[in-house]
Amino acid sequence: MAESKEALIARLRRQAKQVRRDVWRALRAGGSGHAGGSSSAADILTALYFHRMRIRPQEPEWPERDRFVLSKGHANAALGAVLAKAGFIDDEVLDRFYHFESPFGMHPDIKVPGVEMCTGALGHGLAIATGMALGARMQGKDFHTFVMLGDGELHEGSNWEAAMAAAHYRLANLTAIVDHNKIAQSGRVTELIDIDPLADKWRAFGWEVREIDGHDMPEVVDTLNALPFNAQRPTALIAHTVKGKGVSWAEDTYLWHSNNVNDETYERALGELGE
Amino acid sequence: MNAPDWRARAANQTRLAFGQALLELGARDSKTVVVSADTQDLLGIRPYIGKYRERFVEVGIAEQNAIGIAAGLATTGLHPFVCAYAPFITARSMEQVRNDVAYAHQRVVIGAAASGISLGVAGGTHHALEDLALMRSFPNMTVIVPADVDEAYQATLATQDIDGPVYMRLGGRVEEPPVSDPAQPFELGKAVTLRDGNDIAIIACGAMVELAIRASDELKKTGVAARVINLHTIKPLDRDTILKAAAETRRIVTAEEHHLTGGLGGTIAELLALEQPTRMRMVGMPDMFACIGPTTKVREKYGMSTQGIVAACRELL
Repeated sequence: MAESKEALIARLRRQAKQVRRDVWRALRAGGSGHAGGSSSAADILTALYFHRMRIRPQEPEWPERDRFVLSKGHANAALGAVLAKAGFIDDEVLDRFYHFESPFGMHPDIKVPGVEMCTGALGHGLAIATGMALGARMQGKDFHTFVMLGDGELHEGSNWEAAMAAAHYRLANLTAIVDHNKIAQSGRVTELIDIDPLADKWRAFGWEVREIDGHDMPEVVDTLNALPFNAQRPTALIAHTVKGKGVSWAEDTYLWHSNNVNDETYERALGELGE
Repeated sequence: MNAPDWRARAANQTRLAFGQALLELGARDSKTVVVSADTQDLLGIRPYIGKYRERFVEVGIAEQNAIGIAAGLATTGLHPFVCAYAPFITARSMEQVRNDVAYAHQRVVIGAAASGISLGVAGGTHHALEDLALMRSFPNMTVIVPADVDEAYQATLATQDIDGPVYMRLGGRVEEPPVSDPAQPFELGKAVTLRDGNDIAIIACGAMVELAIRASDELKKTGVAARVINLHTIKPLDRDTILKAAAETRRIVTAEEHHLTGGLGGTIAELLALEQPTRMRMVGMPDMFACIGPTTKVREKYGMSTQGIVAACRELL
């Protein structure tokens, strides 16, 4: 029986909450980590992996799978949580975050099932995803490629080389999602180097642009379902998010871009996230 | 295509031989994809583009993007060949080469033309004298320096069998006379001995191989038998051939169009220091930026010449 829209949204919200809990669980295992950017990305990652993307966790190299590249690789705790929940990797791996010889470190490693590329050095993912989307077209495959970028990451000029190329090649099978949580490592992104007007920039580069609330699950789902919006253009989803979403004292502050997490911090975070 | 055709089109330039080999690979393997960074004539790929337009990507003057896109293409099972300028593709996009290609172990072949000081008149901004040091420092990377068009053509075809990234150093718009035997198949990682001799061994790569042969012929006139080894594969290193030469001649001279730091001479010095300490001299670019000028004159100024190699040999004899 098909899942009703209400049931779908309720399920995804539950799963997103679990992803956030698992992010803090991984950070506790590691003793520290990127709570802010992992939590801001959690709802979109959940909607991608548990609703929108065509994947086979038991066959991670399935050639027809949709691709996801976490260009803002420092949110790997969230990606790991999603991959574990989807069944690409064992759940126990989350308890080995940062551990010696763990497959699961601060940034994604292509050797891990479900991880499409080693990322985290910022400004790499959009070009890689552009290559994947071109590869799909050349081989007559209909998979879609998603790439998630940080907003601070957009300071890296290489993004704009790739943005130009993806529009030039009319890659409607490519969607870039900007996790626009407004904060980088040292402070507010616009105060470091202003990236606004962000939507206009993407439009000027030839992209179809939508701005969404990256925590509004129905809006996220509806937007992902409607892709592509233009058969001749790649899509940029500017997702307005809150850094550290879900834990009040970690929200909207650069202090929780990355920070130490001990047992007490973990318990306080989970107390806010709830069951 | 029959052999004389491609050889004529390559016009004694390894960069063009690479482009001709891509045309052959396009026919052999439907997974071949060529990526250009506004380098269509530099690597002679217009014939490829004309025939395989649907398996060609022009990225414009954007080396970081060229490597990133190539890595993405490779993840989908395609076999991308990036056509680029050596100085830019190694320095500007080094992080993409390291992370997206080498660390991620993607099957991407980088054809790097205009290496060394082949763009002599362009000045230091356009010389590539550190590319071998950078590229060979990355795990997983294969590093090849063809000495002439036959080697470049065969080596490019041979990349089909390499399951990992390849850096292929190519020349510029400077003639690279034939030095290899076209009948001898290219064997990756296997150095070629071009002159026998037990008094001294000259180990060279790229354009320096021809000069090494001339130096050997020059030395022969004074009764010195100088072995000449064409080390076309810098990585993986042919340890056996080098150690054998060191044992049999006890004197090694290296010759490369590259800084003396970290290139062919460096890799041989590392090997010999650990395995078989041997007296050495290294011919190449000293620790300074090269002057502007025609390639041959600039090479000569810094000792990258027949006389420079002979002089280095004499120091050890």
